[in-house]
Amino acid sequence: MTTTPNPFRALGLPERPDLTDEQVRAAWRNIAAATHPDRPDGGDLARYTAASAAYAELRSPWARSEAYADLADQAGDGPVTAPLPPVPGEAPPVPPWQPLLALTQVPARIRSGRPLRLAIRGLIATGLALIVLQLVPGTPAAPADVLGLIIWFVLTGRKDLAPPPER
Amino acid sequence: MNVWTWLKFVTLLWLLRKGLKLARWLMVVAAAVAVWPVTVVAGTGYAAAWLRGWPPVRVYRTAAWTLIMTAAWLVALEASEPGFLAAREPGRAWGVGWDQLTLAGLARTFALLAPVAIPAGLALAGLTWAWRIYALTTGLGGIRASAPITFDARQWRRQIRTAKGLTDAPGAVPLLARGGQIPIGGTIRAIGHRWHPVLTLPAAACTRHMVIVGATGSGKTNLMIRLWAGWFTAATAAARSERGDRPLLVVLDCKGGRDARRKADRTRRLLYGAGARRVAIWPDEARLCLWDLPPDDLAVLLYQMIDSGTGAAAYYADVLQAVVTLAVTAPCGPPLSTQAFLDRLNAPWLAGAWNDGRHLSEAEHARAAARHLPDIQLRYATLLRRLGPALDGPGALAEADAWYCILEGTRERSVAEAQAMALTELAAQAATSLDGEPRAMLLAADDYSAVSARVPLSNLYERGRSLGIGIQVSAQSWEGLGATEDERYRIAATADGGVFVMRTPHPEPLAALAGKRRVLETAHRIIGGAWGDGGTTREQRAWTADPDLVRRLAVGQACYIHRGAATFVHVARPKPSPLSLLPPPAPPIAPPIAPVPEPRSEPDSAPDPWPSPASLDDILGPEAPR
Repeated sequence: MTTTPNPFRALGLPERPDLTDEQVRAAWRNIAAATHPDRPDGGDLARYTAASAAYAELRSPWARSEAYADLADQAGDGPVTAPLPPVPGEAPPVPPWQPLLALTQVPARIRSGRPLRLAIRGLIATGLALIVLQLVPGTPAAPADVLGLIIWFVLTGRKDLAPPPER
Repeated sequence: MNVWTWLKFVTLLWLLRKGLKLARWLMVVAAAVAVWPVTVVAGTGYAAAWLRGWPPVRVYRTAAWTLIMTAAWLVALEASEPGFLAAREPGRAWGVGWDQLTLAGLARTFALLAPVAIPAGLALAGLTWAWRIYALTTGLGGIRASAPITFDARQWRRQIRTAKGLTDAPGAVPLLARGGQIPIGGTIRAIGHRWHPVLTLPAAACTRHMVIVGATGSGKTNLMIRLWAGWFTAATAAARSERGDRPLLVVLDCKGGRDARRKADRTRRLLYGAGARRVAIWPDEARLCLWDLPPDDLAVLLYQMIDSGTGAAAYYADVLQAVVTLAVTAPCGPPLSTQAFLDRLNAPWLAGAWNDGRHLSEAEHARAAARHLPDIQLRYATLLRRLGPALDGPGALAEADAWYCILEGTRERSVAEAQAMALTELAAQAATSLDGEPRAMLLAADDYSAVSARVPLSNLYERGRSLGIGIQVSAQSWEGLGATEDERYRIAATADGGVFVMRTPHPEPLAALAGKRRVLETAHRIIGGAWGDGGTTREQRAWTADPDLVRRLAVGQACYIHRGAATFVHVARPKPSPLSLLPPPAPPIAPPIAPVPEPRSEPDSAPDPWPSPASLDDILGPEAPR
């Protein structure tokens, strides 16, 4: 929960967690120089105060990542803060078809994860598999190589999926 | 023997030695060329391990996984050519490969030999990498004297980069892993512990005692919230499968202020995503009732909440305790509110309450204490007014899944101390109460040093141990753990759930808990800037958790010390799965939902804590990707 509604916007910066200290300081100095109340034209106290508060919130890389995450949460990337309504009745037992249910969640997990990376991994695995099948068709090594590529894809690609619900 | 003969002899010896060395290297190169598919894989594996700072075990595990393709190849081979003749196949493919030294030919040979070459190459890479690490850390390898230091520093940087990369992946560090393990973050380096890409702790570690020490801005909050959410998710999953009790998390944020509200909000969002039904923030949005405590406990607590002093003040303290006990344990029952308690602190009420003919000594005590009653009433009126209405009910810990209690320990220390005493007493009562549903409880105290003057942390520990609730305590420094060195050691040494040390200027006492390990240290004769041939190796003792490394930890990095071993980890920011169950969408013109409902509005019949998915949409979430 950031105290300034959007500290990045208050400093005129893009909403990114990887901004450098220099970028943030430069943005604040520009606004401070233009809006300071000691200026002959009286400055803009409200904007100066907002920029100062935003600068205090974005000073360190950690604080920036926190502020970014808070904005992402507010934008709907995180769960809502309203409490879940109580549901009457007995707690549902874990169904025996739970593994199958997990399979139905895979498309949503891909969408919410890193689909581009997953697609690149998939393309690499498919491309190599096609090359292998082209080079050594019909040999015992071909299915083994393809299996190896599938194992590689599954083991490295699972971290690009979003976690299953309530995990 | 003249000089010339001696010179010839020395030169001959030198040439012989160099020749043997050259011959050995040529044999290695010849072998590497001969088994080039294995060499290619080994080189790739070695380079990957070097660039990513992997330990050898990581390469060995990859090699073990690739044995599946070897098994598949053997099965396919047996199917195509039954019998032992199939064993000639790799040799034949290798031999044919030398006749086709084109890119396509080499690729074909590699594809034919991959099921054997990849596991063998990776195993060789692991062995070579292990030897390289051994040679450099013991001082046997490297060209310059600074090689071990440079190597270690470079590997540390690469290990951090790899751990950060893993931590950033959405599915690598969820709130809960398989087997009820709580993932913490990407492992940077494990010393003594078994290495895993992601450091995970069993949920049971949170139900024991855990200590977290880190300076402001070291990422302590992130780690604590991750541990809370992980434990909550694990306990919830256990409760759903009827393997444990429903969780109750009680967080005491003892510093207070704006940051505490921000943390409370984050924690609540996360816990809702992890399946919590109700997360209450005390005292901002919910209340608790101190007067629900059993009369005897309530009397002791009320007495302890007043700073009674020592020496000559001990007399007054005894009178105070006697009066409070008389007021709370009166035959008509305990007081139900602050006002009811204050009303009892006067002579006529006490005399009337105890003057029933069956409590003669108590009635006598009430008469004897009469002249002190106005003072005592004044003190309690002042204290309870400062505490505010948040402890005056209505509300009970059992009414929510998690409580985030904010104590203003920095601004109003004495009030926060009294509140901490009351809240820990309420938590203890909730843990031991036989009336309600049994709950798995974790009591987490963030920056407990802000209120620890009146309730020493060791007491909290002892109570937690006796009540079977997990205690998690954080402090900004070693000194913040307790008032005396003895108390600090007692707290840290009994943390059987482990100690997390983040960046802190004085980590030595905590690092000492991991102990020391045996290392080899080699001294070389230096010739110019390089190492000569002579030298000695001896056994030395080195820190398992190097305090210098701990001092230099970046934001979000921690050292987990447990059972004489240490793991450095890059803590992942806790985020619930975006697919977590969400409440049904509100109608467009619905009134705004209050952040947290009044705890007392719970329906009489116990509701089901677990929402059951009505349709597939409830499981998969809204149609649009979140």
